[in-house]
Amino acid sequence: MSERKQTTDDRNENSQRTTGEYDGLRNGRSGHETGTEGRREREGGDGRARATGDALVEINELRKIYDPDGAHVTAVEDLDLDIGDNEFVTVLGPSGCGKSTLMECIAGYLEPTEGEVLVNGDPVAGPDPSRGVVFQSNRLFPWKTIGQNARFGPQMRNAVDDDRIQQLLDDTGLTGFEDSYPHELSGGMQQRAELVRLLANDPDIMLMDEPFSGLDAMTKELMQEMLLDIWEEEDRTVLFITHDVAEAIFLADRVVVMTARPGQIKDVIDVDIGRPRDSSVLTSEAFNEYQERASDLIHDEAERAMEQKQQETQEA
Amino acid sequence: MSTRERVLGVDRRRLLGREVPLPPRGVRWAISVIGFLVFWWAAVQFGFLNFGLFVSPIATLTALVGYLAGEPVAGGTQSIYVHAAYSTYRVVAGVGLAALTAIPLGLVIGISAKAGAGIDWDSYLYPGLESLRPIPPVAWVPASILLFPIVPVLGFSVNTAVLFVVFIGAFFPILVNTVEGVRNLDDEFRRAAQSLGASNRQVFRHVIFPAALPSILTGLSLGIGLGWITVVAAEIIAGNYGLGYITYQAYRLLATDVIAVGMVVIGTLGYASSAFVARLADYATPWSDIETTG
Repeated sequence: MSERKQTTDDRNENSQRTTGEYDGLRNGRSGHETGTEGRREREGGDGRARATGDALVEINELRKIYDPDGAHVTAVEDLDLDIGDNEFVTVLGPSGCGKSTLMECIAGYLEPTEGEVLVNGDPVAGPDPSRGVVFQSNRLFPWKTIGQNARFGPQMRNAVDDDRIQQLLDDTGLTGFEDSYPHELSGGMQQRAELVRLLANDPDIMLMDEPFSGLDAMTKELMQEMLLDIWEEEDRTVLFITHDVAEAIFLADRVVVMTARPGQIKDVIDVDIGRPRDSSVLTSEAFNEYQERASDLIHDEAERAMEQKQQETQEA
Repeated sequence: MSTRERVLGVDRRRLLGREVPLPPRGVRWAISVIGFLVFWWAAVQFGFLNFGLFVSPIATLTALVGYLAGEPVAGGTQSIYVHAAYSTYRVVAGVGLAALTAIPLGLVIGISAKAGAGIDWDSYLYPGLESLRPIPPVAWVPASILLFPIVPVLGFSVNTAVLFVVFIGAFFPILVNTVEGVRNLDDEFRRAAQSLGASNRQVFRHVIFPAALPSILTGLSLGIGLGWITVVAAEIIAGNYGLGYITYQAYRLLATDVIAVGMVVIGTLGYASSAFVARLADYATPWSDIETTG
């Protein structure tokens, strides 16, 4: 815990340093900087996945029903979740459990059928550059070069910081590929480039929907480490969706385990493994214990999800 | 032996068990073209069907050289350049007008067909247009001659009927391809841009339009092809100028050399305009041929 606190403080310092630079983007943030100490505790008793009172993202009784007059599919039901400032939360669930729906509600692509999603205390009203998104499929713009993709966000506001973009490209090993088109790059490089595009825009919250699921095991591990490095260095809140148990634990402060559809929170696991983490963590005893616990939780849900799918296929 | 031949498991150099060297590509190309010309010559020479009435390849070449030197064609006073210029201008103007209307319309229809758009332009515009689409453009010729007069513009007489037929021929392929280009774009690209801070206008400029551009250019290429088909058909019936007009006049005067020369020139110009659009497409979409759907 003391180690964890140490890095948290480091990052706060870091954030104070950068706040001045990105003033325009970060107004309203300072109010949340005090919550780091208590944010990882859950409110006693009611099972609600709470950080503290001043969560950056606050989800209250979220329910999302697709096609309410027709097929009426409840993707997410009675979901309460708070995400603290600078927290790394992973959402672990079987396929089709409404993980992506949750993310899309926070991103502002979907309107909740019931309940609310608050960011900085305000209801989400559409997409916003303060909430950056990485999709499962690579969504670099194929008609723009890597360099043009990287500066896309800042360019939209006429605020391109060339040094910052160069730094990000250097950090991710993409220097020299600025003039390449995305399809000329490998899958791992494309994913790094998309991360650069996101970071160049300096979002407060990064919403990542199984971003590494299309990569091979080695590349995936390297990308996870890279993501953690970036997250340790810069102060940011991450909501990372995955169906990979090891990935969920390796990355997270907290793992939110979801049920099969309708998606509800089954349990929340606080991951007390020190940071910075690297791949050596994966073989530690603590990691194995977390992994076992998460696997137990997810196993039944995965079975249920599979049965649901079978049933739907038979009906169709 | 090339890789391709090895992969297919066929050794093309063996003919009746004997080694035959594969001739270079240029020679194979020449054999094909010369073969066709010999076939043409033989059909005329030996009077296959009514081919005896037609000109041989050599007479066509001679006539082509003469007309390219500026001889007036088909009993008229104008050179072939004047007629070619008329047809070309009609294709360019007709296809251009089609592009100017079909591309914006297709973008509006395509965008409003997607969820979250304000007015549902899609359902107001598309069904009406779709009902006209099955009519072959050439079938518009008689109606067009009735509906569209010859209008004097700057001392030239502009045959608006021919222009309209070319326009209608090019309009639908451009419209349909533009609509499809927008519709096929996966929504996540738009979402990605919005989450990076792009306004609706910026999403259109940086995402929707470039994503649809390859498809739009495909439509334009099809449109130009149809433009040449329709201009010839329309000029045969409604023109006093143009390559379609002189080719048909030549038929009436039994000037078979002009028929053949007209066909050659129409084919060449059609090919050149397709090549031009293909070049334009390569230049405008260097990322080319990549999936932006799903």
